[in-house]
Amino acid sequence: MESFSFWFFGGCTLIGSLLVALCPKLVHSAFSLVLALIGVAGLYWGLGADFLGGVQLLVYVGGITILFIYGIMLTPKGATKWSLGSLLFPGVIAVVPLCVMLHLAWKGLESVIKPVDAGVPQPTVDAIGRGFLNREEYLIPFELASLVLLAALVGSVYLARRKKES
Amino acid sequence: MQPLAGYVFLGTAMFVLGVFTMVTRKNAIYVLMGAELILNAAALNFVAFARYMGNRLDGQMFAIFIIILAAAEAAVALGIVLQIHHHFPSIDVSKPDRLGD
Repeated sequence: MESFSFWFFGGCTLIGSLLVALCPKLVHSAFSLVLALIGVAGLYWGLGADFLGGVQLLVYVGGITILFIYGIMLTPKGATKWSLGSLLFPGVIAVVPLCVMLHLAWKGLESVIKPVDAGVPQPTVDAIGRGFLNREEYLIPFELASLVLLAALVGSVYLARRKKES
Repeated sequence: MQPLAGYVFLGTAMFVLGVFTMVTRKNAIYVLMGAELILNAAALNFVAFARYMGNRLDGQMFAIFIIILAAAEAAVALGIVLQIHHHFPSIDVSKPDRLGD
């Protein structure tokens, strides 16, 4: 079951990311991004992170994607035209680390990092909530994150405001 | 259990495709989407490693903070993109190359 969910959602993620990188049209890329993000949410569930998967769906798939689709309205019509010269350097940048990582993943990873199997993961919502409100764990980062979000909200409204013509 | 290498490889593939998107495209929205892919790859690695180190919660906490910061980043970045669109008639990221004036 875990294996099936890994291959299914992993495939969604991989195909979605590939389409984001390669689709010539912006709208298609944006909806492929939705596919990739849903795949990542499914992978979180497969890894036992139930709360995190829900957050991923709510914030990414629900929120950030809407922002992007709103941003698409600013874009003129047209598609990216791929040419060999423009793809060569980025292609090398992309393929070399992928090959290195594939080699490492198949050869050395299990010897460097010993996996500890701690059984089937328990629901995490309770533990995460207590962690956030525990002074010895994540209380300070939690409060700081709320400050950051407030500042970002006010700042983005200020940035996006249409200035008076003077 | 599914081997950890699968998740690590998936994270690398997402990261690499995000970098590829940011490098090849001129449109600001594409650059932001590449950044989101990169952030998701990092968060996925955090969660996978936490799961394989004995179901720890630290990795999931990091992933939650990554999501929080990504939301803030997307809002601010789209505000900036809106202003670029207001100043220049396009959102080509190679257009704004002069600070000031």
